[in-house]
Amino acid sequence: MSGWDWIASHLDDIAAATRDHVVLTVIAVGVGLVISLALALLIHRDRRVYAPVTAVAGLLYTIPSLALFAILVPVTGLSVLTAEIGLVSYTLLILVRNIVAGLDAVPPEAREAAAGMGYSALGRLLRVELPLALPVIVAGLRIATVTTIGLVMVTALIGEGGLGQLMLRGFTLQNYTAVYVGTAISIGLAVVADLLLLGALRLATPWRRALER
Amino acid sequence: MGVNQPPSLAASHRGGATVEFQHVTKRYGPESAGPGAVNDLSLLVPAGRICVLVGPSGCGKTTSLKMVNRLIEPTGGRILIDGVDVAAEEPTALRRRIGYVIQQVGLFPHQTIGENVATVPRLLGWSPARQRERTDELLALVGLEPGVHRDRYPNQLSGGERQRVGVARALAADPPVMLMDEPFGAVDPIVRERLQNEFLRLQDGLAKTILFVTHDIDEAIKMGDLVAVMQTGGTLAQFGPPAEILASPSSDFVARFVGADRGLKRLSLTRVRDVPLTPALTARPGDDAAEARRGAAAEASRYLLLVDADTRPIGWLDPAGLPATGALEASMAVPMSPLLEPETTLKDALSMLLDADVQAGIAVDAQGRVLGLLTVDMIAALLTRR
Repeated sequence: MSGWDWIASHLDDIAAATRDHVVLTVIAVGVGLVISLALALLIHRDRRVYAPVTAVAGLLYTIPSLALFAILVPVTGLSVLTAEIGLVSYTLLILVRNIVAGLDAVPPEAREAAAGMGYSALGRLLRVELPLALPVIVAGLRIATVTTIGLVMVTALIGEGGLGQLMLRGFTLQNYTAVYVGTAISIGLAVVADLLLLGALRLATPWRRALER
Repeated sequence: MGVNQPPSLAASHRGGATVEFQHVTKRYGPESAGPGAVNDLSLLVPAGRICVLVGPSGCGKTTSLKMVNRLIEPTGGRILIDGVDVAAEEPTALRRRIGYVIQQVGLFPHQTIGENVATVPRLLGWSPARQRERTDELLALVGLEPGVHRDRYPNQLSGGERQRVGVARALAADPPVMLMDEPFGAVDPIVRERLQNEFLRLQDGLAKTILFVTHDIDEAIKMGDLVAVMQTGGTLAQFGPPAEILASPSSDFVARFVGADRGLKRLSLTRVRDVPLTPALTARPGDDAAEARRGAAAEASRYLLLVDADTRPIGWLDPAGLPATGALEASMAVPMSPLLEPETTLKDALSMLLDADVQAGIAVDAQGRVLGLLTVDMIAALLTRR
């Protein structure tokens, strides 16, 4: 059976693996973003929280992925939950740092003007601070997303993995077509995700394009 | 002298409210005289007047300003607007009815000029149509073409244009009180002078009560109906009309702060519109050159001022250098002297003439039409008459 024949007869499997990969990534980055946003706002309000939060996030980030899953399996089993706990953990350091850096970069005079004209604290955050922090936040989001797409592969070892599952079976059965397909699609996913985020940022920040002109 | 109180001001209280400080104190930490502290400040700003808080850095002038809209809370004392304690009102509601302009302008870089100007109306829940109408009205008021500037972003504007937008934004909801913290501090002196003049013209019609902070005594004398000189430690050194502060400083500190050139500074009390100007001998492009020469000779005038159809100045003509026959052309004119506005102070006018190394400046109205000439000799004569 040639490689192309294998692909033709396994389109459903490939599509399913790709879908799983995307879903695992989106959940991980989405949950990571929500948690990071909450932590970053906490830090923004009280700087003393910054060191402990980044220390914990940094510790999680340094645990090798395989080791992290090995620690989690006895607790949460071979499950999506186990995979996501690991994946989310790895996004936190990058996202928290970038959101804090983005909020720090908001011009102090814009912040003062907003307060002086009668924005509430929440209104100022939503209408002034977060929009101005968006470029730095999205920069972090792009790194976190591409990293996560790669890390999802590793979760094949605990029975998840999306395209990683496809590749793992390929190695086991010495079916290198499956390995190549998994590799190519994951690279494609990373590139597409990166471009989508970049495009979304451009759409959301027309004022930066006005500057380039 | 009453030059700092335009005649229309006393009659119109269209937008003003009184602002009163009663024994206001602000301490940072246990030390009572640290930078930014304010010590037992009491003063009353009548409705519709500009009160300038001036003093060296750390004298508490900005702190005093920010206590009015409660960006800073006083340690003691009260601030009343039209007799009502500001502490009684919810801070965000209070701030929405007080205009606020800061030195760095603080326009929101991610919003268009129109969105920036409509900030407070939007917070107050005005309809989009009313916001838009008000925005265009305000942009026109501060001299910006709504169609050109409304949809631009702040970074596409010059420093002077951004300052104008800052003033428009502060005026958006027609607040009775405006707080201005070195509002023209971030632009070069020529643009600053123009912005000051524009703002004074605006204020003639609006009659807002304005608290204005600056460290520049010349700006204080020019802009203030009343000047409050503050000194390090946050105490009020002197409070009164600018003429009084120049004529009789109440302490060595005020005398030193006002400077040794008090006589010269009194030129800041008089504006171009307050002095009788010398009429300019004018000619227009297309006029007969020989005729123009004869006219200049008859008036014993050294120069002719070439003006366009609306009497806006084009440049100077030297009668001796004109052709014997033919018509005058714009290209014959040499570059102009400084243009002075009616609101320009004589001190600024003198400095502009000396900088440009010319004897006469051309006074023009808001539309740029010639009003007359002001010479260095005329200013010197006014100085010696004092």
